[in-house]
Amino acid sequence: MASLRRLELCSRLIKPFLTKSRSVSTSRIFLAEWNKDWKPGPYPKTPEERAAAAKKYNLLPQDYEPFPDDGLGKGDYPNLPIVSEEARDPYENWDMPEYRRNYMEPMHLYQDMTTEDKWNPNAQIPFSYPTMVLTLVGVLTVSFVLFYLTDKYMPIHQYAMSRQYPYNNLYYLKGGQPSQAVPEIKCYTFEPAEK
Amino acid sequence: MGNSMPWGPNLPDPRKPPTFDPMYGFQNGRKERVMIATEEEMRMAGVPMEHRDFCAHLFIKWLKCRRDTFPQGSKCKHEKHEHEYCKFEDLVLRMKEYEREKRLLARAERKRKKMARRPKEALEE
Repeated sequence: MASLRRLELCSRLIKPFLTKSRSVSTSRIFLAEWNKDWKPGPYPKTPEERAAAAKKYNLLPQDYEPFPDDGLGKGDYPNLPIVSEEARDPYENWDMPEYRRNYMEPMHLYQDMTTEDKWNPNAQIPFSYPTMVLTLVGVLTVSFVLFYLTDKYMPIHQYAMSRQYPYNNLYYLKGGQPSQAVPEIKCYTFEPAEK
Repeated sequence: MGNSMPWGPNLPDPRKPPTFDPMYGFQNGRKERVMIATEEEMRMAGVPMEHRDFCAHLFIKWLKCRRDTFPQGSKCKHEKHEHEYCKFEDLVLRMKEYEREKRLLARAERKRKKMARRPKEALEE
């Protein structure tokens, strides 16, 4: 019986992909591109509006600080300090351990940039970025200079002299003119000449 | 493949042809290398620059076979091997030239040192 139920579940999962219906989704949200509830409210001007906005975003009024009203449409969304997920304590008893986030905790505007596999602006780096860039550029420069010099003055080669070409080292093919004296270049084998 | 970096003051430069007289030390002379394909043939066959050497006639044969049996290029194994063997023999010859150049350079160095030490005796020899 269990296997039959499993089969029914599988068919219910696969069916929407075959019939192009969206019934596999459990939420109506995925049927819409955008929801009016996701839009922030207008920029708060009076202290009462600020208090209302702070309550809306589960913040204390003294902690609430909206983005500047520069016409970019951020409205009353709070300008929170950025703390990436990687910088948060992994041993704390989070409500959502996979996001290291508590229920009803206000979300940073760029929270999607600071998930655990992405940017960590709170990282403590051992050296400053200019030091690291200069080290990289220095190592690469020294390597390329050494490569260039060794390749120019002592390239890797076989224990053999240069290639031999017929017709006076391909004189005419390499742009030689018949008006000038043709340099006679002969190539020999190591067998004695016949008499 | 025998790659190495034998660079030194008395070692031959592998990028250049031999510098000593090619006939020095050969009482009976040396046989000249034979070029079979003419410049006209090489130009008509469109042989690349690096293959216009003493194996060019075999290269042209291989090109012709490939053209005739296209797209079954694997039928030209024999022609390909002939050309590659010719190239190998060319490499062996150039390696012999390298060894000759190396020994003659060492000999010139020995003579120079001897001349610096005892110029009169060296001249008498």
